[in-house]
Parts: sequence; C-alpha cells; structure tokens
Amino acid sequence: MKYLLKRLGFYAVAAVFAVTLNFLLPRLMPGDAAGALFARFQGKLSPEALEALRRAIGISDGPLWKQYLDYLWGLAHGDLGTSIMQFPAPVLQVVWTGLGWTVLVAGLALVLGFVIGTALGILAGWRRGGLIDTVLPPLLAFVGAFPYFWLAMGLLFLFGFELKLVPLRHAYADGSTPAFTFSFIADVARHAALPIITVIIATLGGWMMGMRSAMVAVLGTEYLALGRAKGLSSLRLAWRYAARNALLPNVTSLGMSLGFVLGGSLLTEVVFSYPGLGFLMVQAVRSQDFPVMQGLFVMITFAVLTANALVDVVTTVIDPRTRSRES
Amino acid sequence: MLVVLALGCRPERAKAPAGVLTLTAVEQQATWLRNFNPLMPGPRFPSQSGIYEPLAIYNSVTGEWVPWLATAWEWRDDANTLAFTIRQNVRFSDGQPLTAEDVAFTFELLRRYPALDQKAVWKFLDSVKAEGPGEVVLRFKRPFVPGFMALAHQPIVPKHVWKDVENPVTFTDPNPIATGPFTQVRLFQNQVYELGRNPDYWQPGKPAIDALRLPAFPGNDQANLALIDGELDWAANYVPAIDRVYVSRDANHHYWFPPMGTTVMLYANTTRAPFADANVRKALSMSIDRALMVDVAMSHYTVPADATALSALYERWRDPTAVKEGDWVRFDVAGANALLDAARLPRGPDGLRRGGDGKPLTFTIAVVNGWSDWVRAAQVIARGMKKIGITASVHLLDQGTWFQQLQRGDFELAVGWSIEGAAPYEFYRWLMSADTVLPVGTAAPGNWHRYASAAAAPVFTELEHTVDPAREKELEAQLQHLFVAEAPVIPLFPNPAWGEFNTTRFKGFPDAQHPWAALSPNKLPDVLLVLTALEPVTLPDGGAP
Repeated sequence: MKYLLKRLGFYAVAAVFAVTLNFLLPRLMPGDAAGALFARFQGKLSPEALEALRRAIGISDGPLWKQYLDYLWGLAHGDLGTSIMQFPAPVLQVVWTGLGWTVLVAGLALVLGFVIGTALGILAGWRRGGLIDTVLPPLLAFVGAFPYFWLAMGLLFLFGFELKLVPLRHAYADGSTPAFTFSFIADVARHAALPIITVIIATLGGWMMGMRSAMVAVLGTEYLALGRAKGLSSLRLAWRYAARNALLPNVTSLGMSLGFVLGGSLLTEVVFSYPGLGFLMVQAVRSQDFPVMQGLFVMITFAVLTANALVDVVTTVIDPRTRSRES
Repeated sequence: MLVVLALGCRPERAKAPAGVLTLTAVEQQATWLRNFNPLMPGPRFPSQSGIYEPLAIYNSVTGEWVPWLATAWEWRDDANTLAFTIRQNVRFSDGQPLTAEDVAFTFELLRRYPALDQKAVWKFLDSVKAEGPGEVVLRFKRPFVPGFMALAHQPIVPKHVWKDVENPVTFTDPNPIATGPFTQVRLFQNQVYELGRNPDYWQPGKPAIDALRLPAFPGNDQANLALIDGELDWAANYVPAIDRVYVSRDANHHYWFPPMGTTVMLYANTTRAPFADANVRKALSMSIDRALMVDVAMSHYTVPADATALSALYERWRDPTAVKEGDWVRFDVAGANALLDAARLPRGPDGLRRGGDGKPLTFTIAVVNGWSDWVRAAQVIARGMKKIGITASVHLLDQGTWFQQLQRGDFELAVGWSIEGAAPYEFYRWLMSADTVLPVGTAAPGNWHRYASAAAAPVFTELEHTVDPAREKELEAQLQHLFVAEAPVIPLFPNPAWGEFNTTRFKGFPDAQHPWAALSPNKLPDVLLVLTALEPVTLPDGGAP
C-alpha cells in the first residue's frame, strides 16, 4: 500500500510538470494562429483581414503569468478553451469528435497486437526451433522494417483501390446514420479492419520478439527445471510458470503504449482518413491552434500517467516481489 | 471477426445518389464541425458563396461584373456615394423577402463588430442607408472606387434573423436562412455534409442539381484517390502528372489549370544593401532560368511570369508595351553580370562578387519547409545566382517562422505569394505603395520587402476616385510601366488555379475550350456562377448514369 501511495505521489508531481510544460511549449513556437490561418489562403484574403482575424480569434497578449493562471483555472473546470481553426467551437467538442474512433482503432489494434504477439512469443519460446520460431520472427522483422506509412499506403492501394475490398477512407459509409444495428456495426468494422490490420502487422514482431526472449531467459532458470523434475504438465509449466514471469516486461511496455493510444495512431489516421485524434493533432500543429494542441497534450499526458499507474497495480498483482519491500 | 466482416461483405462503393454532386475544395479537415457563419473568414466556401450570396460577382475569367442580389449600381457625387439597386422577388429560405434593409443591416454588423469586417470596408465607408426597399446608398469618407469589390462581394444576411443573434462573431449559424442556391443542410456528420437545393431560389429552374456533398479529406493524397476513383465530380486538387494519372483513366475526366492564381514572387528586402538598387534586383531576376523553374518546380502546369507580374487573372488589364519593355525577366546571365558590374559589385579573384564592405555577397532565400514547389523554385534561383558570382543558400523554415520573418522584414530574400484583387490597383498597392510600407520589425500584412514608389503615388490616388473605365485602364497601364521600370519585386510564375471535373454525372463545367467562368471551386464568389449552371447528365432513357 505504501508502495502504491509513493507511486501516486510521483504521478502527481509528473502531472503538474507536464501541464506547465504543455502551457509553455506552444507559446515558444514562432508565428501565431491568425497568421497561419491567413497563410492558408495564399493571397486570397486581403491583407486587412489579418488584423480582423487577430481580433476575432482574440489572441491573448496578456502577461505570461496571467495566461498561465487563466489556463490552470480553465483546466480545473474542464474548460480547454476555444479552437482556432474550428472557431468558435470549444476544444472539448473538437476533441470529442475524434476520441471514440481513436480509442476504437488504436486501442483495438494495440490489444490485438499485444495478445496475438505475446501468445506467439510464448509458443516460439516454448518450442524453440519449431515451425513458429523459425518462420515468424524473420518474416515479422522483415515486414516491420517497412516504413509504416509506406506499408499502409501500399495495402490501401491494393485492397481499397485496386481490389475494392475495403473502403478508401472514414470510419463509416458517408451518409449512414450511427446506430446500434448490425449493418452499421458491420460497416464500422469494414472501415476499421484495414487500419487495425496494418497496425497489428507493423507491431506484432516487437511484441513477439520481446516475449520470446523473455521466455527463453525464464526457461533457463532453475525453478523451471525443478518444476519439470516434479513432473508438472507441460502446459502448466509453459503458462503458469514461465509465461507469467516472462510477461512482466511486455506488460510494462503495454502500459507505455496504452497511454499513446489517445495520441492516435497518427500515421494510420492520416493514411486512412480516419476521423481520430492523431490527424487532429497534425492539423492543430500545422495551423498553430494552441488550444487544441494543449487540449490533446493534456489528455495524452493524463492517459500516459493513468496507464502507467494501472501497470504499476497490475505488476504488483502479477509479481509478488514488487510488494516485498513492505512485508 | 473483423477480417470476416471486412472480406465477407463486399462493400458497394459509397456512390452519391443521382443529382448529388460530390466535391472538395480548399478546406481539408479530418472532421467537420457545424458552422455556416458567412461573415467569419474560414475556408468553408459554401457559406459565403452557395448558401449566402453577394450583391454582384466579378467573373475573373471574362473580367465582367455579373449583377446578383443587386441588379444595378451607380457612382454618384464624384464617387463619394455608391448606390446599389436591390433585386426584387428574392426570398430568403424562410420565405421572407430580401430588401435593402437586409443589405444595410449586414454592413452595419461589420461596423459594430470589426472582427467581421474582413476587407476593412469601414476604413473608407461613412454610412450605409436603405432608401426604400429597393436601394442601398453607401456614403464614403473619401472617394475609394477600388473598394467596390469588397462591397459587392459581401455576403448578405437576413436582418430578421441576425438582429437577434447575441454575438455574430461566435455564432455558428447551424441552420442558415439565406438566399443562395443551396440552403438546406440535409446531412451533417463529422465525415461528410450535404447541402440541398433551395426550392424557392430566385433564379427560376435553378440550381439544376439536387444537392452538394462534401466529404472530409485530411489531405491531398486522400482527395486525389477519390477523384481518380470517380467518386468526386468536382475538385480543386493539385494532381501530379494529371494526364497520365487522371485524364487517361476515363474519357469523362477533365481538368483546367489556367495560370490565374497568385503570382509567386521572389521578395528582396529593399531595406538591405544591395537590394535597394533596382538594377541589382533586375540582375537577380535575369539570373533566374524561369523555363527550368516552371519545369522542375511546377511540372509545366504554368508559364514564366512576365515583367508586369500580372497573372491571367488581370488579363484584360495587361499592357503589351509594358510587357515588351520588361526585358529583365529574360534569362540572360551576361546581361545580369553587366548590370552588377555597373552597380559596383565587383568580382574578387575567386569569382565571387564583393559588396560595399568588401566581403563576398552571400544571401539566404527563405522558403516554407514542405512547400515543395517553392523549395525547388528557390533551388533554381540559388543556382542562377551562383552564375553571377553571388552565393545564395535555401533556408527551409517552418511556416510560422517564415511568415513572421516576412511580416517583420527580417529576411534577405524570400519566396512568397501576392494579393489577388479585381484590378491591378490592389495587387500593386501591396507591392509598391508608400501607404503599405511599415517599419522593419513591425508585422506588415503585405509589402514585406518595404518598397515605396514615389512615381506611383499620384497614380494610386487618382485611381481611387476614377470611375471612367477608359481612364482607369490608362492608369492601370501606367502602374504596369512603373512596376516594369522599378522592379520592386521579382516575379517568378503565376500559380495555376487547380480544377478537375468528371462529366459522367454532371455537365456544364467551364474549361479551356469554354472559358466562361473560373473552374476552381476555390475561386470565390465565382463558384456561384458554376453552381447555378451545372446540370445532371441524363441518359437517353431518362435515367441517371
């Protein structure tokens, strides 16, 4: 318990630090949002419009400490400000449109990748030199070495454009109404399939290799030899004895990745025109939309911290040694 | 399960129903949020030209003013007053008639909320009054004839709706009440929205198409894929190798890229030596191989600029004698060297030219990182400058940094855009008029190179109160001659106005053979001319393709 409290204290400090950094960083960038919006028109807006734009967006020129206090006050009330590129929509509304889709695609891809990759790693580690162990690692390493962007574009071109098996973009067919009907869910699945599959293909190798080497290390330990000598079943040895211990490093990296899910699988969303947070972030940075940028970063920060706190809890459950200091 | 679903049910392509035109324009968003406020600037083009409408439309291709919500206009009282006659029988989409009151109210809104006054019309306006239901009289603080375009292009909103809007700046106008051809928001989702036709549009029988559908595309690549796939009927994308990629795929695929966009310029900061000297600027210009530039940077989609710097947008103003005088846009290394020798920038023993301080001349060319056409253009410039003994390095900057440096005059050389207006007056004013020059260090919205032409000042002033078209043309020609003589900036090439269309389902688009209007849906408010002219294609049996 003391251990967990200590960890929570650490997370609170990290959160304050991150929030402050989050406030400062965008303000250190050169240029301003009105300029970015103006630049997008490349001479189509009259120069007088620049002044009007500044006035409309209401860019704050107050002293930095005052902006910081306003920012903290807003944050405490769940007010993330007003978006500039989608003026006058509140940031929360802008972010909300993408949140569900990102969680669906990035989350599902992460969980599936982790589960499949880890299972494959366990099998490969257990049956070293077997079929899975000889064929999959080099194959997955090969596929994983492709730049993700290239891989996703290539698959989209092949399956979406040439073979017309999957849609080219978006989270569901244009014009269909979101509802809990089989046809709509099937439609969403059809749109999400290729994005999810590409992420799994690209990340599977990492999970599998990590799990495999951890397994190999654990399999060499003496308690496994003892278990074998005691005559435990192969299955029990592989899963309860070896895999449970070997899982720890993978769970830690799962925690890290879980936090980044909210950041969106940025490239995935751009390639598949998927309406998630990742693309929103690219766009916010490009248009210097500070409020949206900050809103996203705050969310990612808290997601990463929360995920890590959860991992800490899970680790204490799986691995009794982390609890040992208090007993 | 996903795989089974994905591969098991073969999806029918999301094809728009007959009569629904699918298009994409300048706005690229991952998701749409509902906002149709026409008074705020923003790239959602149908708000300003589609849902709402202006008083008159300048047809940038023919150079004519097309009466729209106003049937006529007249300058009175030595150009101190402008009167618009408002069209009768125009109704807003809630059935209420459009009157002069609505027009006066719209301008009144701009006065009360300066954030809405995008064209700064209240700099020269004094008052706007409705005289009866059919006439609006605008009184000026001083004669300013070039302000006509800003006034005529102002989208008009209904008084009976907007008078109750608490803050028109933050109003999102989710269910617009307007006069335009497409006023009915039939569908609004984060991925797509549809605007249905206004059943009581004032032009009888128009629009002939049922609805506009605008899908959200995060970028050009995704939009191009949909265009090539035949899903988009109309687009304004940059498409590389368009003949092979798009046109050759289907006989109904067409494009038209007239060079009538902004003229891309090389800005030389005239507050820094040696760029204050017109001959040095001309020599720089002569060292540039524009034919090569148009090839490597623009894949031959445009043509080199002439010395008036005017794009095809100003074709009817172009003065052939000024074009002929402007020999400094021709690629002529020997001529450039001769000019620099005369400007006392001698070559050292290493072949590099020395400035007044005896040090070799080295400059940076600021361009936006990732705007690859400009980056390649800057590389061609640097190559040419090497031939005349000047070292130039291409400086790739983030868009924000680049724009900030440009505005503050904190650069040596930079590639940038220029202003698009109805007449050369507005274009040249932001390139060489004293009243647009701001001190270095202050953010200037234009005239980034800080150049004031003394000879042009009286011409600008006279143009501001000239109503007579013949005299106006003379004065605009004088400006061109002055620009050619003084070379305030170095024109590179006019940008093409991108436009593609697919005639499988709709017909009536303008193109190079039928140049009756601009094709690009990014050209506002010209787009209204096309939107009201398009018709669905019907098969011989009466059905839709």
